[in-house]
Amino acid sequence: MKLKKNLKRIGVYAGLILAAFLIQTSVFPLMTIFSSVPNLLLILTFSLGFIYGSMTGMLCGFFAGLLLDLFYTGPFGFYCLIYMALGYLNGIFSRYYYDDFISLPLIMCAANELIYNLYIFLFRFLFRGKTDIIFYFTDIILPELLFSLLITLLIYRIFLKVGKKLDSMEQRRGQNVA
Amino acid sequence: MDNKASKYLFIVLTVICAVLIVLSSIETRAFDPVRNAVGYVLVPIQNGVNAAGTSIYNGIEEFKRLKGVDAENEELKAQVASLSEENNRLKTETEELARLRELYELDGEYLEYPKVAARVIAKDSNKWFQVFRIDKGSADGIEVDMNVLSGGGLIGIVTDVGANYATVRSIIDDESSVAAMSQHSFDNCFVNGDLELYEQGLLRLEDIDKNASLSDGDAIVTSNISSKYLPGILIGYASDISVDSQQLTMSGYLIPAADFDDLQEVLVITRTKSEYGITDYSSEASAEVVY
Repeated sequence: MKLKKNLKRIGVYAGLILAAFLIQTSVFPLMTIFSSVPNLLLILTFSLGFIYGSMTGMLCGFFAGLLLDLFYTGPFGFYCLIYMALGYLNGIFSRYYYDDFISLPLIMCAANELIYNLYIFLFRFLFRGKTDIIFYFTDIILPELLFSLLITLLIYRIFLKVGKKLDSMEQRRGQNVA
Repeated sequence: MDNKASKYLFIVLTVICAVLIVLSSIETRAFDPVRNAVGYVLVPIQNGVNAAGTSIYNGIEEFKRLKGVDAENEELKAQVASLSEENNRLKTETEELARLRELYELDGEYLEYPKVAARVIAKDSNKWFQVFRIDKGSADGIEVDMNVLSGGGLIGIVTDVGANYATVRSIIDDESSVAAMSQHSFDNCFVNGDLELYEQGLLRLEDIDKNASLSDGDAIVTSNISSKYLPGILIGYASDISVDSQQLTMSGYLIPAADFDDLQEVLVITRTKSEYGITDYSSEASAEVVY
């Protein structure tokens, strides 16, 4: 019974990750009018970690990162590592999670974006002697962060609703069995 | 209990990732089979999503365009008249050129590289990297290191190939470096991608000899000493060339010939430089940093 319950959850999460990846790589690039786009995979990873705890966040992050690693040519595991770590870290904060409290998720979103982009800057740019952090911050990190905050504001509640629906479906089934 | 389990799993996965990063840094092709296998599943989906997105996008664009179409029509009619006149003139010149080429016994091979058209199906929407994926792969004869063009200029190079897709790194990517030369004076230089400059639509033009006669406005093409880029492909035009502070080299900017925003279709040259068997430049080629 428990396995079946988990399978359904895994299916929903996998679907969300895949959808976020496809939108991110195949739909967003067409919208050239926007100077930047939100990082959906990151939003998904930190939301799931924050709502459902370290284990869920970590595993979702791992697979989100895996998709990106498969997409790129660079060192394999580069994205896996950061997404997984962020999913895990956000899970630690899930004890402060309350249903209708939106300001904490927004702060978490900003913190996640900063850590993620600094990670890329540090290992892929600073490493090669590109040091102009002020430019990278104002032109790349900040726009993406703002767009991500906006999207978090919009879809965080949707995640919550999907999660609640899954919970109640499982509860109902549990009662039926009982 | 759950906390402890997730802590252990976290450590295990971190170690796995670290090992993978080290492994793939040493042996860069090690993960190609995995990428390829996943590509079988993912690429058709990306293809579909992209096609749907593109048609919606084109619909909106078309609507916008319709508004300005009348004025444009008038303009185009005038242009057609002047172009057909120009065309007649060029036809005669082409014949002349053909005769002259025969005279000089120019090697026409490089002028007509075999090409394959491909559609851009996915792109990194994150602004750090300028990498995209096309819908043609090894099944269509694409190989790693093939050059990619669009709109009359060099776009990038194939860095990774699966059966039904290929990954291309643009020359505007911060990690890209292309050995180039002036079409006019044959002076060597490097065209380096720079994230910061590309915001202004430029690339970096570096390592030009102090005594070179390269000047602003010169066409910059891929060099014949490059190990990966076929010679003579237009990259762009030089601008703001000045002597560096050490007084040994000159550098400046390059205005790219191709349009990198809104890339939908590209051409891949289905020959790699190594296939042309150019070995006499190997000593120079090994010294350059073309990735």
